[in-house]
Amino acid sequence: MTEPHPANKPILHADNLVKTYREGEKERMVLNHLSMSVYRGDLVVLLGRSGSGKSTLLNLLSGIDHPDKGSVTIDGHNITSLGEKQRTLFRRAHIGFVFQAYNLIPTLTVLENIMLPMELNGFDEHRKSESAQKYLEEVGLPDRASSYPDQLSGGEQQRVAIARALAHKPRLILCDEPTGNLDHKTGLLVSGIFHDLVKKTGSTVIIATHDPNMHRFADHIYQFHEGTVQPADAPEKQPDA
Amino acid sequence: MPSKSPYNSGLLWRSGIRYHFRRPWLYVLSVVGIALGVAVVVSIDLANSSAEKAFRMSAESVTGAATHQIYGAGSRLDEEVYRTLRTETGFRKSAPVVEGHASTTDPIRSFQVLGIDPLAEEPFRSFSSQQAGIELSTFMSGQITGFLSETTAEALQVAPGDTLDLTAGGNHYPMQIAGLIQPEDEYSRQALENLIIVDISTAQKLFGMDKYLSRIDLILPEDGTGLPEHITRALSESSPTQAGSATDPARLLEASLPDGVSVVRSGSRTETVAQMTRAFELNLQALSMLALLVGMFLIYNTITFTVVQRRPLIGRLRALGATRGEIQRMILGEALFIGIPGTILGMTGGILLAQFLLQYVTQTINDLYFVVSVQQVTIAPLTLIKGFFLGIGATLLASLWPAREASRAPVRIVLQRSEKDARLRRNTPVLSLIGLLFILMGIGFLFLPGETIISGYVSLLHIIIGFSLLTPLLITMMASLLRPVAGLLFGLPGKMAVRGVVTDLGRTSVATSALVIAVAAAIGVGLMVDSFRVTVDSWLESQLQADIYIQSPGFSTRGLDSGLDPELIALLRNAPGVSGSHSVQRTEIQTNQGLDRLTVVETDREAVQSYNFRERSPGLWDRFDNEPVILATESYAFNNDVSVGDTITINTDRGEHNFAIAGIYYDYSSDTGLLTMSRTVYDRFFDSKVISGLALYTDADTDIETLIPDLRERSAGIQNVIIQSNQGLREASMEIFDRTFTVTIVMRFLAVLVAFIGVLSALMALQFERSREMAVLRANGLTPGQLWGLVTGQTGVIGFMAGLLSIPLGIVMAAILVYVINLRSFGWTLQFQITPEMLIQAMLVAVTAAILAGLYPSWKITQTNPADALRDE
Repeated sequence: MTEPHPANKPILHADNLVKTYREGEKERMVLNHLSMSVYRGDLVVLLGRSGSGKSTLLNLLSGIDHPDKGSVTIDGHNITSLGEKQRTLFRRAHIGFVFQAYNLIPTLTVLENIMLPMELNGFDEHRKSESAQKYLEEVGLPDRASSYPDQLSGGEQQRVAIARALAHKPRLILCDEPTGNLDHKTGLLVSGIFHDLVKKTGSTVIIATHDPNMHRFADHIYQFHEGTVQPADAPEKQPDA
Repeated sequence: MPSKSPYNSGLLWRSGIRYHFRRPWLYVLSVVGIALGVAVVVSIDLANSSAEKAFRMSAESVTGAATHQIYGAGSRLDEEVYRTLRTETGFRKSAPVVEGHASTTDPIRSFQVLGIDPLAEEPFRSFSSQQAGIELSTFMSGQITGFLSETTAEALQVAPGDTLDLTAGGNHYPMQIAGLIQPEDEYSRQALENLIIVDISTAQKLFGMDKYLSRIDLILPEDGTGLPEHITRALSESSPTQAGSATDPARLLEASLPDGVSVVRSGSRTETVAQMTRAFELNLQALSMLALLVGMFLIYNTITFTVVQRRPLIGRLRALGATRGEIQRMILGEALFIGIPGTILGMTGGILLAQFLLQYVTQTINDLYFVVSVQQVTIAPLTLIKGFFLGIGATLLASLWPAREASRAPVRIVLQRSEKDARLRRNTPVLSLIGLLFILMGIGFLFLPGETIISGYVSLLHIIIGFSLLTPLLITMMASLLRPVAGLLFGLPGKMAVRGVVTDLGRTSVATSALVIAVAAAIGVGLMVDSFRVTVDSWLESQLQADIYIQSPGFSTRGLDSGLDPELIALLRNAPGVSGSHSVQRTEIQTNQGLDRLTVVETDREAVQSYNFRERSPGLWDRFDNEPVILATESYAFNNDVSVGDTITINTDRGEHNFAIAGIYYDYSSDTGLLTMSRTVYDRFFDSKVISGLALYTDADTDIETLIPDLRERSAGIQNVIIQSNQGLREASMEIFDRTFTVTIVMRFLAVLVAFIGVLSALMALQFERSREMAVLRANGLTPGQLWGLVTGQTGVIGFMAGLLSIPLGIVMAAILVYVINLRSFGWTLQFQITPEMLIQAMLVAVTAAILAGLYPSWKITQTNPADALRDE
């Protein structure tokens, strides 16, 4: 399902994606010829019940997983035609992740966690450190640089995860239930910080979520239905910070 | 899109290292495991090489500049040969030597005694000539005087003029120290450490070699310089010179010497003697490799565990863009973080362990092969380099598969927990088939042409790997059988304990395999030693038919040093109560197969009964005393590839003669084998009348225990000899046997220790990883005591399974050691024995190791607040 955008070329285009999983003796089609486009600078929210295929779609869009049929094109690169290693290299250069369970590396400090994607991309030491410090300040944790993840609260950990996802300036940020593990108040705080940051950096974001706080920031909302997506009514958008 | 993905991520590396710092106990156990494996290999190698180096150094130092040596047909050479060589043939660059071994009593230390003529020494040995400061007046005073190296004198705390109490050939001699030799360098210091230099006549007195020499040293230039005229003439008539040809100076010189006297290149005898220990050393090395193999399982286990535990983390890294190669290198880098300190620690430990093992290795070489005295471990750089690469190589090899596993799994799967266990359960049939294939390949290696000892060990390795791959299937099968029993005995916790082994198959099967291999190795080596012991015991029973045995004290079972005094022999043979006797002489002869050991026996009705033949020609005993025939031991036939009817050419005092092999008999006294000849035949071909042992038969009414002190009393003052009853000799022989296997037993213990550490770390890791599951059980009402029972129960089940599984593998290993490796190493046929005590002991070791391994984690888990364990990260 695509929605034309008057001024922009789509940064991401998913075309006719099919993904089937084997569950015991049966096969279940999670994505059923799904198509969608996302435009540069957009914040897209995907809605759907558990198991509807939201995470599967994020895995396919990021190149973590491979579709049975169909293709994913990001900024002119058909990532489904790439080999595993090339997909990995593409992912680390152009995609940032925010997970529900934060997924920080417990054996690295907060600063090191933020520096990791930049290090994998071969940034020099100065640039890594400068950018990590800057984003740490942006998420409001400048004094926690040398803490380990298990010394932070859930909300703090997710703020570090957001900084990590943005610090190497990826073209696309994928979020899987970013506020799912947080209480209402913390969720609000985190989603506010997240929204401000993506708007400031002009990042393109796709969020799979149930959180109504996130709905408010969405440019487009899609609803999962029987393995494909349909546009849902977007709530009145909050003015940009 | 970036095109390069260099592995320069210090953060990935830092993350991996910190993971290990957070689990220091697991890290330390892994390091200790690899360290022990490396230490065992390094120590055996150092002990072997130190003994060999000491032997070669002392051999080289006493050989000096000699290019050739003249030997007699037997183990001694008539001194008349030397006189003829110097005076009649006019060969000046020659020096007579009488060699033997003696010991000091306080402290007990053995020495090589070199009897020389200082006037003839100068071209040969710098340390024993007049130039070295040997004063003829004190050296050739007619008294027993000798020279020692300065460092040896310091060690013995003696000075020139002091007297040393020396024992040689069973007799005590006070030896006055005439002077000290100052070693020129470190090499000479070590080479001369165990040497006493005496005048040739003194050595003849010490070793009962009146009018005989051990050998004559020669400098025989190939261009003929300095050679007697007739040889120079012969050489100029036919050129070029070819070694071994009729125009070779050595052969020409030999032709001018009496029959049976041979000229050999110096060092060739040293080489022959040094090679005797080849099979012994190879077997020790193989046993030490077994410990390293178990150590490899430990590394594999540790790395697998760290990978399994970090699968979600690896998933995150992959999602963030770390490539498979980067993950693989991260895991291998972590393995090196264990392997490098483990290896360095192992090499240090190996040097220390070598000091301990050296005495046993040296003792065995002395008991079985030749006399060597090693005072210290020589740290050979090559051994250390080998140890380093073995340790690192074993670590990397053991980590390759888990590293590949970590990097290969798709990110989607990595993010799921316990996928590996589920996959392992699914893959069990495939793994089992591969395991069976390995076992079949292992059996196939046994039938490879060439029948080498290496293929025996390769077969053993394949069977071990095959059995490890079968372990998951066997565990699953055993668990389904044990579960209802455990349920009946211990209720639900019992069932859970057994089921837990299968649920965590990915980890439990590796831990179990490591324990199975170590315990099976213990069973295998144990059963082999038991089989050997039983075989030797029954062989001794049939071999020792006489009631009393007399021999001169020697330094080795080769026992070539001295003979019994003829006066004593006559006295003992005619002592009241003695009804019959036969004599034995052990000597060395030169045959077409090389330098061989010969036993010369007087045959009588009883002696004939003591031989148990594998193969014999008809009418053997009639021919034995009358024809040029010999008997060969099974190991001689094996090592030299001869059988009944073949001919051995022996260099006798009457020249070269052919002797037919009339029988091949079982014998376990020498792994290099020996030949046996009748005394009557020997006397026809050799001049030596030496008798080195006597067997006495007593009257039916004589009490042996009374007769022995009586015989000792009669022999006092003539010669100090060992007089033993049949039973006493058997016990002494078994004592040597047990001493020989001490190193083997130490190796076995160390292999089990490595496995124990492996099981300890694997089970501790496993139980700690399950702390959340345990907390859920605690939250649901399981008491700390019940939890303790559950954890210990599970480790106990693993121990029980490992014990059971190790029995068939251990028996197969023992069978290969007995029927293939021993046979191919030494040519011995052993009676295979399965002793139930050994199997029970193995079960106990396995269960105890596993239960001990579970104690700490279960205590730790019961001490933890369930709320802490239930809390998310």
